[in-house]
Amino acid sequence: MKLNVDGLLVYFPYDYIYPEQFSYMLELKRALDAKGHCLLEMPSGTGKTTTLLSLIVAYMKAHPLDLTKLVYCSRTVPEIEKVMEELRKLMNYYEKEMGMEQNILGLALSSRKNLCIHPSVSKEREGKVVDGRCYSLTASFVRARHAADDAVPICEFYEGFDAHGKEFPLPPGVYNLDDLKEYGQMKRWCPYFLARHTITHANIVVYSYHYLLDPKIAEVVSKEISKTSVVVFDEAHNIDNVCIDSMSVKITKRLLDKCSNSITILETTISNMKENDSKRLEKEYKRLVEGLRDATIARETDMALVNPVLPSEILEEAVPGTIRTAEHFVAFLKRVVEYIKTRLRVQHVVQESPAGFLRDIHTKVCIDRKPLRFSAERLASLIRTLEISDLTDFSPLVTVSHFATLVSTYTKGFTIIIEPFEDRAPTVSNPILYFSCLDSSIAIKPVFNRFQTVVITSGTLSPLDMYPKILDFHPVIMTSFTMTLARPCILPMIVSKGNDQVAMSSRYETREDTAVIRNYGNLLVEVAAAVPDGIVCFFTSYLYLETIVSSWYDQGIIDQLQRHKLLFIETQDAAETSLALINYIKACDNGRGAVLLSVARGKVSEGIDFDHHLGRAVLMFGIPYVYTQSRILRARLEYLRDQFQIKENDFLTFDAMRHAAQCLGRCMRGKTDYGIMILADKRFSRADKRSKLPKWIQEHLKDTNCNLSTEECVQICKRWLRQMAQPFSREDQLGISLLTLEQLQSEEMQKKIQQRAQGV
Amino acid sequence: MADEDETKEYRWESGYEKTWEAIKEDDDGLLESNVADLVARAKRKRAALKDTGAIQLGMMRHLFVVVDASACMFLQDLKPTRFLCVLKLLEVFVHEFFDLNPISQLGILTTKMKRSEQITVLAGNQKKHIEALQQLKDLSCEGEPSLQNSLERAMNGLKNMPAYSSREILVLFGSLTTCDPGDIQKTIKSLKDNNIRVSIIGLAAEVRICQEIAKKTGGTYNVLIDDHHLKELILNQVQPPAVAGSMEASLVKMGFPGASPIVNDGTSDSSADHAPAYCLCHIESETSSLMGPNGYNCPQCGSRYCELPVECKQCGLTLVSAPHLARSYHHLFPIKPFIERAQVRETTHCFACAKLFVEAETNVYECENCNQIVCLDCDLFIRETLHTCPGCASDPVTAQMKTN
Repeated sequence: MKLNVDGLLVYFPYDYIYPEQFSYMLELKRALDAKGHCLLEMPSGTGKTTTLLSLIVAYMKAHPLDLTKLVYCSRTVPEIEKVMEELRKLMNYYEKEMGMEQNILGLALSSRKNLCIHPSVSKEREGKVVDGRCYSLTASFVRARHAADDAVPICEFYEGFDAHGKEFPLPPGVYNLDDLKEYGQMKRWCPYFLARHTITHANIVVYSYHYLLDPKIAEVVSKEISKTSVVVFDEAHNIDNVCIDSMSVKITKRLLDKCSNSITILETTISNMKENDSKRLEKEYKRLVEGLRDATIARETDMALVNPVLPSEILEEAVPGTIRTAEHFVAFLKRVVEYIKTRLRVQHVVQESPAGFLRDIHTKVCIDRKPLRFSAERLASLIRTLEISDLTDFSPLVTVSHFATLVSTYTKGFTIIIEPFEDRAPTVSNPILYFSCLDSSIAIKPVFNRFQTVVITSGTLSPLDMYPKILDFHPVIMTSFTMTLARPCILPMIVSKGNDQVAMSSRYETREDTAVIRNYGNLLVEVAAAVPDGIVCFFTSYLYLETIVSSWYDQGIIDQLQRHKLLFIETQDAAETSLALINYIKACDNGRGAVLLSVARGKVSEGIDFDHHLGRAVLMFGIPYVYTQSRILRARLEYLRDQFQIKENDFLTFDAMRHAAQCLGRCMRGKTDYGIMILADKRFSRADKRSKLPKWIQEHLKDTNCNLSTEECVQICKRWLRQMAQPFSREDQLGISLLTLEQLQSEEMQKKIQQRAQGV
Repeated sequence: MADEDETKEYRWESGYEKTWEAIKEDDDGLLESNVADLVARAKRKRAALKDTGAIQLGMMRHLFVVVDASACMFLQDLKPTRFLCVLKLLEVFVHEFFDLNPISQLGILTTKMKRSEQITVLAGNQKKHIEALQQLKDLSCEGEPSLQNSLERAMNGLKNMPAYSSREILVLFGSLTTCDPGDIQKTIKSLKDNNIRVSIIGLAAEVRICQEIAKKTGGTYNVLIDDHHLKELILNQVQPPAVAGSMEASLVKMGFPGASPIVNDGTSDSSADHAPAYCLCHIESETSSLMGPNGYNCPQCGSRYCELPVECKQCGLTLVSAPHLARSYHHLFPIKPFIERAQVRETTHCFACAKLFVEAETNVYECENCNQIVCLDCDLFIRETLHTCPGCASDPVTAQMKTN
């Protein structure tokens, strides 16, 4: 249908629209008009993706000069594929309505692992190996050697692309990963490099967060995206953690040992080269003296190692003299590695600032800040010069060089923590050096500065006002949309006590209390008896899950549970978990029913949807606070308090509640779906926790359902499930939660939408 | 009932029953009232669908009723227990079923302890079924049910029924789980291949597999809200379903045994017909075997039966009486659905029951033929029970036309 969104003609590829989708478009349009950033929260399953795409495409068509490109960042490959499908639907609709081909090019980009079509390389399973082998076939020196000697293998697809692909851009259309591969097969061009090359002139690019947020990758891939782009981060509730992870480094003892090996390899290669081809080293030396930036001459395939520092921070300076010659640099690296090794020999936890670290390294091994700062770049240059084509062995050394560069570049917002052992096993010596980013705004700042509009959206972003603080930006629009529903298809409840009136809580003090554990068990058993098909339970941590399951076993609760449903447990092993998931789905499908015990923040809570019968109920046992004893977290909390005036408790609650909301949202994937959400902890009913739940959940959480006992909860469930089981068809939704064009245009509805817009 | 003593419990032991909530009007307009509204609308929709859609109805039905007898049937959310409530309603159902489908047959299965048991075989004798149902009351409910076992069992019973009859299974399923020996998908597929329609009534909540079975085999799946709704759902199954395209139409050979043994006008062969003989329906049960002059003789082989309709055990002929056929007849000529109208000013009362239309009722229903207007309740009553429009019947012209 064609919509009029505040004067903009929007083609919407469906016959019906949800009212909140229309409101979403209104808000998004305002943000685009204002050329500012925005934060939008809309429940999952209400068609966020298609709404975003149809409005932004319409805007690009209407204002081709103001808005040239859409960069859509998603988290996983399946999600990327989903976005591409929606885009294809939209483009087909455009073509049908306008009767001609659309001049819009949309494509998905993923790693080499997902795009490679080389017959043997593409068989590799691990991403790093694929990258390494690709590099060994496409690096410029390999190709040069091939020119001299045919026996040196190269990748024919890359050659094909290099010879012809650059002159002929992709024809307009929508390309997901498979389409790219197919196109590559047809033309015999490498799809990966084709996609990377096409990014510069594509109208819509869909890829993973890391291509923008991780400076190591962003530098290579996303450098040439113009300012007049809109960047969308979907499922962005964890964006601050992604930012932090992309800037943090973890160094273990084993990694350092591997580094020593790599350094030996470097040494031998250098001495060999010196004998055979000393000119090359000289040439490199000269180039470094001139301070030419590598990027200007480097070819795209050579960018296998990159600088972890953000673009603006790199100084346009020559590499300092002390590390210009190869031997000196290797000796320098050796010193750094040895120094870190001595630092790891500690008996107690050490925490220091980057400045302290620099001072210490200066006094102990006489290493200055400046050469440290160039180490990443210098290593990249060296590896290129030495023509080492197998990069996989060097990744530990690369990590160390990244650490060296980062620690010498940033003095604020980072901390170094050296722990002699893990918290879990305090007797086993396993020293680790964490170089941890404390400030999530560092990584995302260039994105905010560079692009005119950044949209951060997710199903669960509440409380909204926290994100501008921790990401340090000023959104022009900040809105949370609720879900209009024809029937109350979510049932959030807070169960605070068992039938014996003992309060339920995962508080530290009562965590081990058998009464609490038994009450949790009884709750699960009773819910399992009343709820059909699948039930998903979330615990606060793996450790807690294990202790609870073992005491349930002793108390006979597991037996009772298995009378009603099969039991599956998520573990830290990914393979095991996916096997459990497959069988869980099977059990739900054939009517046996199943319970999945999993962990908030685990794999299940983040990426997997339990729609319809797979998740009729979600139970949240306890508040999923992050492990507060962690020193990294404490350092971050301190930093947040000092820099952003965010109270520790506020941040912890915010973090816990967004994960809780994320878990709860797993069971609700659309308006025909329905699910029970049980929050089993007394503390949830406090205002500070409750008010941090997303609006669309809060709306259905009535005061009467905030302090229930197990029995009351089960009674409510039973009644509600019967109501939800009544036939429900599209006609029942029409006019309330689903609108035709006429209904949307009716005055009454417009008024409602206006009110909604003002209400927020 | 003997059973009641066992299951009786004190009022404070039973679950929370907030009876006042059922009648409470909802502030946010989302809860009960809305759902009840949906149910009412669905009711009308179903009724309308039944009448318009199909032309061929499966008048001759073979139906297996599967009753869940697992542990959860002892729950007391239906009074006195789920199991007793269901059995009571089934009695009504059996009665109504044979009333409306006189030439059909019915059998009863139960499922518990992961197994399935046959209570009665497919037969047209309603007394036997009702007796069996009454005996079931003493059955203890335990273990888990098995959908697959009971469906397989019913399927074995139905497979060999003639192709012109409608094969159906009705499952009353209280449990939320099923414990099956194999892949239920295969069972669903063979049910489909055998043209067996499975309808399921859930007593607790929507279970995915039930939904799927019903959908794939062309049956219905409903979940009750309370006991009234359950009664309604069960009685909905009384109406013969529309035939899914593939059922073959064929001529069925039927026998019409002589009606009264006293009036012997010489048409049937001789007095040997009414000589005392064992009736075949009871010949197997030693205690109650009847010997007497009364009964119906199969015109083909002369076997004696004490009740009609029945399939002759000797020669396989379907024995019916003329009134049975006549009663099935109205299924073939359903009355056209009435047209929904906004309230018309001229008519102030319902033609059928003479009730005054009140403001609250927004819609009235008009017959296409005689243009008489009736209320919603009468509309449903006419459609479901009377099967004839009182307006048309009382109008001499249209009534004449119909008989012609």
